[in-house]
Amino acid sequence: MEERLYDLIFICRPTTPEEEITKIIATLEHACAEKGGKVEKLEKWGTRKMAYRVAKHREGYYVYLQIKSTQGELIRELERRLAVSDVVIKYLTVRLDEELKRQQKFQRKRERKAARRPRKAAGGATPPAEQAAAQG
Amino acid sequence: MAEEQRSQGGPPSGAPRREGGHGGPGGPGGPRKGKRQFFRKKKVCRFCVDRVDFIDFKKVEMLQPFVQDRGKILPRRMTGTCSRHQRWLGEAIKRARNIALLPFATGM
Repeated sequence: MEERLYDLIFICRPTTPEEEITKIIATLEHACAEKGGKVEKLEKWGTRKMAYRVAKHREGYYVYLQIKSTQGELIRELERRLAVSDVVIKYLTVRLDEELKRQQKFQRKRERKAARRPRKAAGGATPPAEQAAAQG
Repeated sequence: MAEEQRSQGGPPSGAPRREGGHGGPGGPGGPRKGKRQFFRKKKVCRFCVDRVDFIDFKKVEMLQPFVQDRGKILPRRMTGTCSRHQRWLGEAIKRARNIALLPFATGM
C-alpha cells in the first residue's frame, strides 16, 4: 500500500496535567513506530476555547499530530487508544494525501498556464528584437 | 468579526431583491435606462485571488469570515466564492466543526 498522510487532532480535558498529555503522546508515538508509521509533525496548541461544549467542558487542550503511514490499521489502533483514554474527550483523524495530490495537480496546471503565457508574449516580442538585431 | 461579515454581506444580498421590485432586466425601459443606482460591485473569489489550492480546516481564522456567528456557512452569493472553492470551503468547515474549532449551531 502506498504511503498515506493523516492529520490527527485530539482534545484533552483542560484539567489534565501536562505529564499525562505527554504520556498519551508517547504511547501514540510508540504505537506508530510499532506499525511502521512516522510522526511527521507534533504541535501542542494548548488550552483553547471550543466552539461548543464537549463532555461538559468549554475549553480543551488541543494536540495536533501529522502521521505518515502505509498501514490503515495503524489509524484504527490510534483511535482505539484515544477512545479508551479518559482524559481525551474528542479526536479526529483526516486523510490528507489525496487532497495534497489534488493541490499539486492544480499547482502544476497553474505553472503550465503561467509558462505558456510568457512564451506567447515572448513569441510576440522576439520578432522585433530579431529585426533590430538584423538591422544592427 | 461576525459583525464585520454582516456589513460586508449586507449590500449584495439586498441588491437582487430591489432589482426584482423594478420588474427585473426585462421590465419596461430595460436595464440600461436609468436606475443605475443599483450598480452591484462584481465579487471575486477571494481564494482564486490568493491562488489557494488547499483550504486547511485547521486554520480557523481563515474559515471564520465564511461562517455566520451562529455557525452557518455563508452562501456563495454573499461571499462571491467560486464553486470549486466553496466546495472545498464547505468541506473544511465541516471538518473544523467536528473537532470543535467551529460551531455546528449555537443556541447561545
